[in-house]
Amino acid sequence: MNMNNKLSSKLDMLILPVILVIIWFIICDVLVLIPSYMFPGPVEVLQAFMKQLLSGKLFKDIMATLYKVLVGLILAGVVGISCGLILGWSKRLERLATLIISILRPIPPIAWIPFSILWFGIGSKPAIFIIFIGCVFPILVSTIDGVHRTKGVLIEAAKSFGASNTQMLTKVILPATLPYIVTGLKVGMGIALMCTIAGEMIGSSTGIGYMILTSTNLFDTGSTVVGMLVIGVLGIIFDYIFTKIQERIFW
Amino acid sequence: MAFKIENVSKTFTSKDNVEVLALDNINLEIESGKFVCFVGPSGCGKTTLLRLMEGFENPTQGQIYDDDELVQNPSRERGFIFQDYSLFPWLNVIDNVVFGLNIAGKDEAESKERALTYLDAVGLKEFADKYPHELSGGMKQRVAIIRSVINESKSLLMDEPFSALDVQTRHHLQKQFISNWASRQRTTIFVTHDVDEAVFLADEIVIFTKRPGRIKKVFTNTLERPRDRDSAEFRNFVVEITKHIDQTDE
Repeated sequence: MNMNNKLSSKLDMLILPVILVIIWFIICDVLVLIPSYMFPGPVEVLQAFMKQLLSGKLFKDIMATLYKVLVGLILAGVVGISCGLILGWSKRLERLATLIISILRPIPPIAWIPFSILWFGIGSKPAIFIIFIGCVFPILVSTIDGVHRTKGVLIEAAKSFGASNTQMLTKVILPATLPYIVTGLKVGMGIALMCTIAGEMIGSSTGIGYMILTSTNLFDTGSTVVGMLVIGVLGIIFDYIFTKIQERIFW
Repeated sequence: MAFKIENVSKTFTSKDNVEVLALDNINLEIESGKFVCFVGPSGCGKTTLLRLMEGFENPTQGQIYDDDELVQNPSRERGFIFQDYSLFPWLNVIDNVVFGLNIAGKDEAESKERALTYLDAVGLKEFADKYPHELSGGMKQRVAIIRSVINESKSLLMDEPFSALDVQTRHHLQKQFISNWASRQRTTIFVTHDVDEAVFLADEIVIFTKRPGRIKKVFTNTLERPRDRDSAEFRNFVVEITKHIDQTDE
């Protein structure tokens, strides 16, 4: 009974998407109310998907995008987490940095595109830079927040055991902050995907963003939709991974 | 003399810049190996004094010496046990217990073996792999106590460690703690608002007045251990001490 309920509630999630695809199919492929260069029908999208898949281009583009996302996110993670731990721990340093962070943080990462091209030319580097800019602030801010929320009693307990500053940071502050760091990375991941596509549409010759842009220029709107859906699916997968990680960090 | 407290006063400044005198000119000497209870109504500054003795905070006036050494910072020579459960939630029981030994760079395998002996003594050996959130309040506090005791610090400072527990668990832990304490007799300062608990545990009972905290009277407890809560001497002593404690109406 319980199993059935679980299964049927999972199936519930599929009802609306299936209905939407059917309506989409009727509008675009049966009645042909919209010309395919404006918006493709599901059949055309499926064909484009097969074509991209079989030529190996899709896999290459996904890998190129993932590479940039991961490199950007890891760089942002290293910088964001380490600076976050230090700024969260030292009130003085935080006061020194707070205005700079507050000014840089609201600037959309896209606004950095001109400089990213000036500084890094074309290829993966400018995109990675944009991703870095986009991810580093949420990671930094949520790490600082996590350090602030570390229970005072845990810090005092460690002090009464004679913990040095380094031991305090690695054995108390870092683990206590881990849940906040993971939340920051999760938020950063979403932003990273967004930034990657934007970055790839401008200074790049690989990746899903590039694929979306070029296929649209060739009126291959089917491939455009394939690219968009791939981004959505990547988003779901990353979200799932981070949710699983969050479940394991139970404190 | 384990602790020497000289003319100690502590003032706190509240958020709206009002100065509150928490401790007013405390003078107290505590002999090595004694079990001393600080008793008084809530807000009397007994916890504040304990925190000053650890070195978490410093007095506004006066000095505290631990074996003739001025107390300024926390030290591993003074174990501290908190009222709130202070276990590290990301470590299981045994890793919590060896935390202090780890910090001190002791051999890990040896530390764990010792930890198991200690856990066994309080009936928690089979919980070694559990995490704090899987334990009851009484178990958590036992683990927290072991985590401090295992470091064999010169003294133990305990801030109402049993006050959050139900009466039965509290009595059980008091018995367990005092029988273990009796075998090694290290200086222990124990803060409580429960006179019964103080009479059961302490060699000396220091009564504090309501804010500002001053020492009102020091009792020496000559009842023989193990103490019997139901004996007439015990009850009479509790009544006698209770008379000296200010009523809290706030």
